Amino acid sequence: MAAEVQPLATLKLPTVVSPITAEQRYWKSFKNQKSHTSTAAWPISHISFPGSSNGSAASHSLVTAAKTNDLFAVTSGPRVDIFSIRKRELLKTIGRFDSQAHSGEIRADGRVLVAGEDSGKMQVFDVGTGTRAVILKTWHVHKQPVWVTKWSPAELTTLMSCSDDKTVRLWDLPSNAPSRLFAGHQDYVRSGAFMPDRNNLLVSGSYDSTVRVWDARAPAGSVLTFKHADPIEEVLPLPGGTTLLAATGSAISVLDLVAAKPLRLITNHQKTVTSLSLASNGRRVVSGSLDGHVKVFETTNWNVVSGSKYPSPILSLSVIAAGAGHEDRHLAVGMQSGVLSLRTRLSGATAEKARARAAEDALMVSGATSKLAKIDSAKAKRKRNAASNKSMALLGENVDVIIPTDATNSAGGRKRRVKLKPWQRDFREGRYAACLDAVLDLSSPEYQPVTALSVLVALRHRSALREALEGRDEVTVLPLLKWVIKYISDPRYATVCVDVAFQLFDIYSEYVGGSSELADQFAVMTGKVSREVEKAQMAIITNGMVESLMIGGAEA
Amino acid sequence: MVELRTPRKTSKASKMDANGETASLKKRKREPKEETTASQKRQRSKPKTQPAAANGNVDDTTDSQESTLFENKDLQTANGDLELTDASNTLTTRNTSAWKVSNPMGGRMLDIDPIFSLDERYLLITYNTSIQVYSTEDSLLVRRISLPITKLDSGAELSSPHIVASALSASAPEFLWVACSDGRIWHLNWATGEGAETPFTIDVKKVLDMTVESVDIRDKQEDVLFILQKLTKSSAQIVAYDLKALRKKTGKLIHTYDENPQLLRSAAGGRLIVAAAKETLHIGTLKSKGKTVKAVDDLEYAFHSFGVPDLVTCLDIRPTLQTTKKGGIEIQFVDLVIGCARGAIYVYGDLLSKLPGSATKGGPIQPRKLHWHRRAVHSVKWSEDGNYLISGGAETVLVLWQLDTGKREFLPHLSATIENIVVSPKGSSYALHLDDNSAMVLSTAEMKPTTYVSGIQSLVLSDKPSKESLVRRVWRSVDEISTPLITTSNPTNPSQIFLCVGNGQQASSTGNAPSTPLIQVFDVSSFQGVSKHPIARTNPTDTNMTSQGAPIIEPRVTKMAFSHDGKWLASVDEWQPPERDLEPLLTGSKTPCEVSRERREIYLKFWEIEAEDNSLQLVSRINEAHFTTESETILDVASDPISSRFASLGTDGVVRFWSPKLRRKDGLASTGPEGQQLRTWSCSRAVELPAYGQLEEAVEVSPKTPRSGALAFSEDGSVLFAAYGPSSGAVVVVIDTATGAIRDTIPDLSRGDIRGVEAVSSSLIILSEDLTVYDIVSDEVQYSFALKETSEAAKQMTHLAVNRESRSFAVAAPIPNSSQEKLKKGAKSELVVFSVDEEVPQLIQMFPQVITAVLPATNSAGFVAVDSAAQIWSITESGEQAQMLQPLADLNMEESASAVAPVDHAVEDGEASDEEMQDADADVGMEDDDYDVHQAVVAPQKLAEIFNAAPAFAMAPIEDIFNQVASLFSTRPSTI
Repeated sequence: MAAEVQPLATLKLPTVVSPITAEQRYWKSFKNQKSHTSTAAWPISHISFPGSSNGSAASHSLVTAAKTNDLFAVTSGPRVDIFSIRKRELLKTIGRFDSQAHSGEIRADGRVLVAGEDSGKMQVFDVGTGTRAVILKTWHVHKQPVWVTKWSPAELTTLMSCSDDKTVRLWDLPSNAPSRLFAGHQDYVRSGAFMPDRNNLLVSGSYDSTVRVWDARAPAGSVLTFKHADPIEEVLPLPGGTTLLAATGSAISVLDLVAAKPLRLITNHQKTVTSLSLASNGRRVVSGSLDGHVKVFETTNWNVVSGSKYPSPILSLSVIAAGAGHEDRHLAVGMQSGVLSLRTRLSGATAEKARARAAEDALMVSGATSKLAKIDSAKAKRKRNAASNKSMALLGENVDVIIPTDATNSAGGRKRRVKLKPWQRDFREGRYAACLDAVLDLSSPEYQPVTALSVLVALRHRSALREALEGRDEVTVLPLLKWVIKYISDPRYATVCVDVAFQLFDIYSEYVGGSSELADQFAVMTGKVSREVEKAQMAIITNGMVESLMIGGAEA
Repeated sequence: MVELRTPRKTSKASKMDANGETASLKKRKREPKEETTASQKRQRSKPKTQPAAANGNVDDTTDSQESTLFENKDLQTANGDLELTDASNTLTTRNTSAWKVSNPMGGRMLDIDPIFSLDERYLLITYNTSIQVYSTEDSLLVRRISLPITKLDSGAELSSPHIVASALSASAPEFLWVACSDGRIWHLNWATGEGAETPFTIDVKKVLDMTVESVDIRDKQEDVLFILQKLTKSSAQIVAYDLKALRKKTGKLIHTYDENPQLLRSAAGGRLIVAAAKETLHIGTLKSKGKTVKAVDDLEYAFHSFGVPDLVTCLDIRPTLQTTKKGGIEIQFVDLVIGCARGAIYVYGDLLSKLPGSATKGGPIQPRKLHWHRRAVHSVKWSEDGNYLISGGAETVLVLWQLDTGKREFLPHLSATIENIVVSPKGSSYALHLDDNSAMVLSTAEMKPTTYVSGIQSLVLSDKPSKESLVRRVWRSVDEISTPLITTSNPTNPSQIFLCVGNGQQASSTGNAPSTPLIQVFDVSSFQGVSKHPIARTNPTDTNMTSQGAPIIEPRVTKMAFSHDGKWLASVDEWQPPERDLEPLLTGSKTPCEVSRERREIYLKFWEIEAEDNSLQLVSRINEAHFTTESETILDVASDPISSRFASLGTDGVVRFWSPKLRRKDGLASTGPEGQQLRTWSCSRAVELPAYGQLEEAVEVSPKTPRSGALAFSEDGSVLFAAYGPSSGAVVVVIDTATGAIRDTIPDLSRGDIRGVEAVSSSLIILSEDLTVYDIVSDEVQYSFALKETSEAAKQMTHLAVNRESRSFAVAAPIPNSSQEKLKKGAKSELVVFSVDEEVPQLIQMFPQVITAVLPATNSAGFVAVDSAAQIWSITESGEQAQMLQPLADLNMEESASAVAPVDHAVEDGEASDEEMQDADADVGMEDDDYDVHQAVVAPQKLAEIFNAAPAFAMAPIEDIFNQVASLFSTRPSTI
């Protein structure tokens, strides 16, 4: 039946190799760098934040999730610093170590922290109360430095340790002796982790270049061994518990536990890879290396999707997730120079708030009160909506379906009719010149080159290009010329620009004598076009030379 | 008898045949091994001097087959074909017995008001070759009354007869009067379908219009037909006939004009007739002298005429009657509304009182002017209560004018130009006939469609000029069919065919080439359009005119192909700017044509077919699939029969293979909103075809020479045959699809432009100016025929379709006619079915219209042809007469039979579900106590044998199927 009025469809340009991919844009959005230099510039050896305890806490309410997830620990020299995720501020420093501290890890409930040290001691601290940390438990069983202490993701009282004494141990918090000892490594064990979703499996990486998987149920302990070429600096089990990453020298090996074979060796770093971290809910892996590079990998084919360079060798890094959705919040990178770099990505509501605040500030400076009032009312409306949504959310504890008040995202309901923008209405009603003026306005906040292109192409399709260009005066024709000059060298815009330029020459060349500006712009355009022609000629010449070389090669 | 010749050596002149033979003249290369070959080359040909002598009768195809072939005594003008004239006809007839052509279905709705039955349960729509009765409740076809419009013995070819008017009988509402332009008047009983064979004939030059009124003749209501007939070029007569007068062929002359009226309307039991000539209205009022009318001869009218401001395109009368003191009825006053060619509507209130007393032209009568339409008003009607006017036109907007307040209401953006509007007898609904060959019934209360009938929307050669063309326009409407209809059938759904169509006949036939931006999915088994999808740029809500009044040209789909599994559709569309826009862009010595070619937009698009609703999702668009310095035409697209892969051939001489791959973004497989994997199509291989010049160094072919070509995959998908080259000599290249290597190059298989290539097992069929069947394995020509010299337009309309199931192929082409450069009205086509293994045609069939498309029927051994009258023909091999959709009436569902026995219901249910059949069977058994009740046990495959014998549109008649099913169920279990 009666068809609905559709706005002019935007052209889909052919995809060209874009200098910036969406992924790069995402990782670039970690901005607002905050640097924190550790006391006496001790190198930052470890950064960790408590992962959600099986995600159960996150799903219930924002409040508890935020509370339990608000802390992260940074280990540097003989200290462990505890930071707030939300405020990015140092909350507390634990300095009660006799020697270098290692692997300060906060438990998933955010209440206690464990750390090992060079003396072989392992200590559990109370995180919560007071500025001075209370030692809750001390083990001195390892006789060599303890490099890894980690809490079990499944049981609150279980933890593991890896030490230079070539052993991996499993501990129970109340008891004084380790509940299990895994021996088998031939050299220092410098990395280890619990396998997620498999409570009894542990993995450890050692300087004897092996990665060993241990099973607490098996009497012998070691169930799998992967031999590598270089010492293992870091192991990282992926969610799901079937794939394991191990940093071996400057490479990262991907190990499949089910097939018990290495899948792949990632060799994107130039120097030893020191740290690995999961990001984007386990869909990305971030690695840091002594070459100062942070690289982001996707987890299906292990391609590098993004990367950045830091001024100093990277010893530790972590992508700190927070909030109910476990979105990536901070990219924390600890360096040899003792600098902790925190880059933060504002997401969703926070980002919007930041934008609004920036706009408000700008207006306040310029003193446009009416606009300010408008923004205020918009803000109030948003607040009301958010409040009602929130109350619905609270109501929603016991209801099955929550229908948000905002009509746009109610799926099955009646679609709100798309309101045509002014230029779209102009186009629809045949005021082509006005429409063209609107979309070619380079200074407009809504200006998008592809919209302009869409309109020009549509005008050509509707045989209305000349009509839209005709009957202008000096002031209104100049923006057209400037637009054409700007885009005529872009191959995707060239054909349309050429047509427009021809039409403009045809219509307005007789007025060039009367208007110096028009003459200037035409001259600029001619110059640009002749440069393009030169480039094309060079390309043809080069192509010809290459072709003759190819033919010569084929004959020889 | 047999002329041995090598290909490409025979000069074209020797085969010039002014006589208009279609095909199959000379055999080549094969040794004359048996004597009968001479007679096998028996020609079907139709001498121009006897044009309609052949199979003009649409409904009688099987009988007339012989006449097509053998009624050709005057073939002697042909040079070199004389030896063929004396050939016997035995072979052909014997072979054709296996192939049958069905009755046509569908057709094009004519610009004639649809008719409501008095109880509003049925809608009677006048098609170009039939009257079709639809139920308004469920939009189903109840009855199709086929009318033999194309007469057998009409002398003048160009004045082809067509239906000009149809009207419900006023005294007996189950009868319908239908007038044909050549003077035949049918009196049809639309409830039973009787009367189509015996038209009345009146002796006229041309019937222009007809109305029917019920007049008191000897105190009895009788139908009187007012017929507007052409007298000379600039004069016309209104003649009244009743049944008696029709039998006598002499009517009562009522009025003669010096003008050429086109429209005739009457009202109030014949008390008022209005005829509209260009800018004049003629009003005739019945002179009632107080005496009763004894016969039609007693009818006397007083005529007045007056000028109107514009050309009249439509008019409607609204009489108000009153009862006289004597108990008679007379007209109290008359309101008249006319719609005009420039968009204005004029309302004449109480017209009769303003008319001057004499029959001479009176002074100007001031009407009320309502002007909203930009272009011609195609229809304007009074509402039932007279408070509203309803009008429509090319704006595709239904306008409701409230006369008291002057307010307008709109129902905008209908799918095509509104051609006719009819207010139902009770006034509760409107019937609209739209230009896209559809009709709908809207309820007046909600303006929602309750009934929708949609036919094939392909371009037709229309009989009447459009109402738009009354005013001179900057464009002219196209009166020829220049490009074949692009059709394809869905491999997964045999009853659906996909046609590339435009936004209605008028919208798509303006400009250089018809715009076909839409795909119409048409279900052959239900004979309804299922859906329409835009496949190229089109926006129904935008105005389709430039400010200069020229039509906006939309892209034209030139090729379309389904992948083997029916999940993907590849389409090619072309658009080039009209030359009138390009004047400022001319530089140097370029012609507008070249400049326009440079700016062509040729897109190759790949669509994903959604499984649940058949909707199309655009997956990839390739902007310049084939290009040199500009976009090159894509000559053909073929789909791999075993995998999801397409091949395309362009005028750049490159064959490109296209295959899907997972869509990736930054090295990641991207997924859709539901997490499904997205795919994208890209060129997986490009094979450059050897240029002709490289094969034969002596022949230098300029790169500017137009090339032609076609592609065909072998049945197992292992090789691709690409025929390509200039018309001076195309070659067939055999490409290994796995490696892209060129396996073989076969020259000299074609002559002139390549029109089609198909492959069946080891045979390759090449259609150019020769039809050649070539065996790839034995590397020899199996047989070859030369086609007749014909016009360029006819070459465009030559079709080749192959059915791999029956190993047969069909060639269809317009019959050459040297007097017609373009394919206009009156052009005829011929379709020949060959078996791959035999050089004797299996079927030679002439069609009264141009065949615009031929495609193989999916999953069965036949073909489907679409003609220029928007009709579908089914050509099947089965012994049964092929049928397409059965109108409901033929399914024993008589609308009048209120007391339908339950058994009769079982009949119609039976074909839908055998379980219900069994239930019905059991019911019957229970009623009959003596009957030994047993549950009929029928193996499912037995039912399947009956129902899956042929696709729905080619099934045996429903009675036969019913009998087969009934016999299956009535048999005792022991005998099964």
